[in-house]
Amino acid sequence: MRSFARCTAGGFALASFMMGAAHAAPADPRHYKAEPLPPGFQIVATELEGPVIADPTGKTLYTWPLNKIRNGDIGEAKNKPSLCTDAVMKVTSGFMSPYPGGFELPELDKRPSCTQEWPLVIAPEGAKPVGKFAIAEHPNGSKQWTYDGYPLYTSVRDKQAGDVLGSAGRQTGGGDGGVYRRPVTPKASVPPAFSVHTVQLGRLIGITTGYSIYTSDRDGVHKSNCDAACLKTWKPVAAGELAQPEGDWTIFQRGPGQKQWAYKGKPVYTFSGDEKERSFQGGDEPGWHNVWMQLAPKAPEGFSVQDTHTGQVLAAPDGKTVYLYSCTDDALDQMLCDHPGAPQAYRLAICGGGDPARCVKTFPYIPADAKAKSGSRAWTVMWIDPASGREAKAGDVGAMSVWAFRDRPVYTFAGDKASGDVEGDAWGEFNGRKNGFKAFWLRDDFDRNGE
Amino acid sequence: MKSFLFAAVAAATFSAGVARAEEPAGVKNRTIGYVLTDYDFATYQTPDGKAECPDGYNDGPRERFERFFPKDGAKGPLTGAQIAREGAIWGPTMEDEPFAFKYAQSKVAIGLNLDGKTGPNDFVSPDGEKGIDNQLYRALGCVVNRRAPGGSLTVFVTTFMQRYNYNRVLLEITDVDSLVNDDDVTLTTYRGRDGLMIDAAGQFLPGGSNRADHKWGKKFIASFKGRIKDGVLTTDPIPNWYMPAKYTFQDVTTRWFRDARFRLNLTPDRASGLLAGYTDVENWYRQIIRSLSTHHLSYGEEYAPPLYRALNTLADAYPDERGRNTAISAALEMNFVRVYVTHPERPVASNDTVSPAAREAGAQR
Repeated sequence: MRSFARCTAGGFALASFMMGAAHAAPADPRHYKAEPLPPGFQIVATELEGPVIADPTGKTLYTWPLNKIRNGDIGEAKNKPSLCTDAVMKVTSGFMSPYPGGFELPELDKRPSCTQEWPLVIAPEGAKPVGKFAIAEHPNGSKQWTYDGYPLYTSVRDKQAGDVLGSAGRQTGGGDGGVYRRPVTPKASVPPAFSVHTVQLGRLIGITTGYSIYTSDRDGVHKSNCDAACLKTWKPVAAGELAQPEGDWTIFQRGPGQKQWAYKGKPVYTFSGDEKERSFQGGDEPGWHNVWMQLAPKAPEGFSVQDTHTGQVLAAPDGKTVYLYSCTDDALDQMLCDHPGAPQAYRLAICGGGDPARCVKTFPYIPADAKAKSGSRAWTVMWIDPASGREAKAGDVGAMSVWAFRDRPVYTFAGDKASGDVEGDAWGEFNGRKNGFKAFWLRDDFDRNGE
Repeated sequence: MKSFLFAAVAAATFSAGVARAEEPAGVKNRTIGYVLTDYDFATYQTPDGKAECPDGYNDGPRERFERFFPKDGAKGPLTGAQIAREGAIWGPTMEDEPFAFKYAQSKVAIGLNLDGKTGPNDFVSPDGEKGIDNQLYRALGCVVNRRAPGGSLTVFVTTFMQRYNYNRVLLEITDVDSLVNDDDVTLTTYRGRDGLMIDAAGQFLPGGSNRADHKWGKKFIASFKGRIKDGVLTTDPIPNWYMPAKYTFQDVTTRWFRDARFRLNLTPDRASGLLAGYTDVENWYRQIIRSLSTHHLSYGEEYAPPLYRALNTLADAYPDERGRNTAISAALEMNFVRVYVTHPERPVASNDTVSPAAREAGAQR
């Protein structure tokens, strides 16, 4: 299989353009089901989330569905007015246990309002509802587009069409990880028997329950060579009598009265040895492969995959596990605090007890040659001032060039002594999901890391 | 029993794949396996706790936070409150807060004599054995979380023990001729890949099988030499033993014991007893804060930074280059049920360690 970056480079390369350009890189029409859009809206390709719906300038659309966190619910309810207002939140909500609310948020003089961080998607005069899109009045009097009953926003973090930096690479939200905004995606182009799941390695296809599907090297186009012995381990994904082929999905007769689904002509199966959804265990069997709608971009040259005691992680050029830092604050508008433009007090507390110098020793940045290129937009080189954690410019005193994944620096952990160690994983509030570090998981055979 | 004749007979029957007629119940091919069902750090306690905790129990994170920031008091900036408190948890120092930590005062503790000596800080076991080394108990004895059955940690440990195979600990005892007296057996630990067998009432059942994890679980494979006397298996110590220990969600923490050894009461269906050794202080502390985080530690009123200081104060082994001990004597109380350990997975060749999924996704090794 080819990486998505290569795929698009040969066909419809992701154009790099200034925000405001009218045409974004279109998504592969085989990957989604078309739906009615307001005039100018478009479906654009992204490197990890797959096709997303964007506004006429190419900016990814987001919703903020209501979700539970420890001491309450945060987010927006369907068909209710927007809660994202022009007011600047000043204190914590107390929704994340065990700390009470009412404490003054950091760097209040620089804190944006929700609508500054998440601009409303304004419906122009005379706009009409179409498909799942409708128009609602925002509390500030603006006419705001909604999708499936949820108010729509863009993110100031997104700079180019195809960016999903408003929620990219983070946990799906809810529970312990804060309530993230979600990119609006069209339905994946799969028959009703199947589903697509975005995991760290790409967009993995499974059956509706989430269990992975597999193809075999021994099979031909619409030809299964899975014999009686094979069938003890591999279960053909049966197509019902009323099932209809669509796009890359076809149906063939594997035996009298037995119809089986095929993807791009290859018969698909589930694996009896899979112990959980979104598994890669079947792909460990020689000649068998997981099925992907889209693959994640390659890591930069010199990075590697390392085995751990529970699965696999991405490792830096020195062989040590790569870590990502995630953070949402505890204000009612749940601002991101995980990037160099956000208050650094949260991260510095977790990695260094508030001391930047200690932080750099505990979770060092991964140095990058200033001229290094990754071949993808996901992996970039960023200049950082390690004394503050803020983004810097080339040539600034003390600044260093470091690797960043989706506009956030990546790290290693000083406590890891050998390749495959993950001693810095779950380092921070709520197992590292609320304000903390998680390993860059690619696979976890025992839990949901990497999903 | 090591006689040439016996060994020859045993080898012959083993190779023929036929269980010996005289094998004890539960033993097959001179092998018996067990799977861990529940465990906790050994915390001796009297019914009212007054003997070991005359000054009461320690504060938890919520209680400690409220002492600094009373509910009806001024709130102030978050940087001086939650953020500072979390900073103290993730970057602990030996600088104490203005509240005394309450150590367990008992002379009695559960554990083993790790160094073969009886020292002034040692305990006496509940059945009178002297020289018990379990300094960790002094730190944990007055922490509500650790006091079963009320302490919530037991609930977490047991719940996640059942929920995730990550935590599965298997014992396979080989060269077994008797579960009552046998002067030469080998105990090997593995991480298992399968669930626990539980009846409708929630009781763990002996029997069934469990696959040893040879793919990811190499870290947890370790062999101990031991002997069985009057139904009690005692092993020699090994330098390092690792145990998977996941208490909540998506954490992959492990526990590290040095000079680890088992003492277990064996029956054909169950094994129970102690794993004792010196647990690395940094590993112990980090496992707790990573696996449980402040929120879950609050359930059981367990505030981590004072424990860090207590552990370092009480540490009694493995001094570093500056002479500071880095490990603390400890014991786990463990319960197992019999299981048939299988080894079905094909060995992973050295060039086959990248998962095909990762390779296909373009990640480079």
